[in-house]
Amino acid sequence: MSISYWRLKDRYYRLIGVSCEDCKSEFFPPVHVCRRCGSRKLVDRDMPRTGKIVTYTELRETLAGFEDQEPMLLCIVQLENGVKVLGQIVDTTVENLSIGDKVKAVFRKIQEHGSSGQIFYGYKFVKA
Amino acid sequence: MRRVYVASVGYTTVGDHWNKSILDLAVESGFKALAGAAKIKPEQLVVGNMFSGLSSRQEHLGALVANGLGLTGLPAFKVEAACASGGMASLTAFNMIRSGQIDSALVLGVEKMRDLDPGEISQALCTAESAEYTQFFGASFVSLNAMLARLYMYEFDVTRADLSAFPVIAHRNAVHAPHAQFRKEISYEDVARSMIISDPLRLLDCAPVGDGAAAMLLVSEDVAGDVNGPLVEIASAESATNRFSFYERDDMLDFAATKLAAHKALKSSGLSISDVDYLEVHDAFSAVASLSVEALGLSKRGQGARDAREGKYDCDGGLATNCFGGLKGRGHPVGATGIYQIAETYLQLTGKAGENQAKDVSVGLAQNIGGVDTTAVVHVLKRN
Repeated sequence: MSISYWRLKDRYYRLIGVSCEDCKSEFFPPVHVCRRCGSRKLVDRDMPRTGKIVTYTELRETLAGFEDQEPMLLCIVQLENGVKVLGQIVDTTVENLSIGDKVKAVFRKIQEHGSSGQIFYGYKFVKA
Repeated sequence: MRRVYVASVGYTTVGDHWNKSILDLAVESGFKALAGAAKIKPEQLVVGNMFSGLSSRQEHLGALVANGLGLTGLPAFKVEAACASGGMASLTAFNMIRSGQIDSALVLGVEKMRDLDPGEISQALCTAESAEYTQFFGASFVSLNAMLARLYMYEFDVTRADLSAFPVIAHRNAVHAPHAQFRKEISYEDVARSMIISDPLRLLDCAPVGDGAAAMLLVSEDVAGDVNGPLVEIASAESATNRFSFYERDDMLDFAATKLAAHKALKSSGLSISDVDYLEVHDAFSAVASLSVEALGLSKRGQGARDAREGKYDCDGGLATNCFGGLKGRGHPVGATGIYQIAETYLQLTGKAGENQAKDVSVGLAQNIGGVDTTAVVHVLKRN
């Protein structure tokens, strides 16, 4: 897990997805084949860091390793380029969330990894 | 292509089998299926299972189960497609027989869930989803289905009571099912007041965690004469995939894999959805049941839950659906679920469903999905 985290750190830290060199469509998570034109020429591209909530939930039974973050707010955000991203939404409560709310991506601690206690960071969302 | 028949079925009760291992459960269901057609010696074992590596630190299930059944030497392997592992195991054996490669196969789905702690079970179920972009952020499988349910309610003005219809019906159907995990009726109020797991989904919106195994013997038309009991023909079995995570889809409420698999299965069986008079849908979560009947073309978009509430999917008077309780009432030992669905359809089409018997049924359709409609397997079965 810690090696895969290292490999993906630019995706997690900076929300870097991919863009198709042929039709300019953008994707996050990155894809190997463009979903629009089928091209395999994809290059890294920064995703916009703002968007709106498409759907959300307050999870009360977290996965192992996330117990200290219970209850956890999760959402799917549609970024300004149309790409949808899943992430946590923080610094708010479920009562203050609505579909359509504007949010922005921030850099936060995601989890402490197993017995090593290595800290993983990545994007979360806050209300804009 | 040759015709393929279900010759016999066998299964364990679904629930907390504290004293039974994954192999004990598999062998119990396998012995029952083998006993139902004693003259048939299977030429292949196909095991459907999702996460034995995590639950029991055990892979290599094909050989393990073949040996456990006393059938050392029998070719055997495991098929995995998340919660659709059972359906995919059946489809695999179906194609081997249909193509003429073999004449008979034992198909067996098994899942041992209760050896894990609740947090570990959530993690195991979540391996159906992206490790890198879903699990990493702490999103469990329930939380994804909760976000799907919220969107469904928002887009189509679906109420809490509408959403409760499938769970209420499932529990009512399971009352008389001897192998069901929950043989207890629940009311709309019970669902609405049950504990929130991941809002808007409550405990009674979600299929339970349980252990179980189901098996069946499949035979070709060439050896079907050796079977004493009644036969049900597998008219077709097809599968399809969707974009991996549901948030990657343009229309998140379109169960495109189910649509595609059902379309292919009905086409190759020469039947249409209106011919189906017995249905097994993958009601892992209340909203998933609704989106499934919509994808099958049985309910209009956004109407699945309301149709269920109005009785359209009642076993008595509607299109008989999940008459042993479905995933919600019978239970959902994930890798076994697809085989339970087909076994229960077999019982219905052969008139052996006891108190759960639906009237005058002759064509069954079973829909088994893995992930959030990421993989779908659809079987069409016909009374012989």
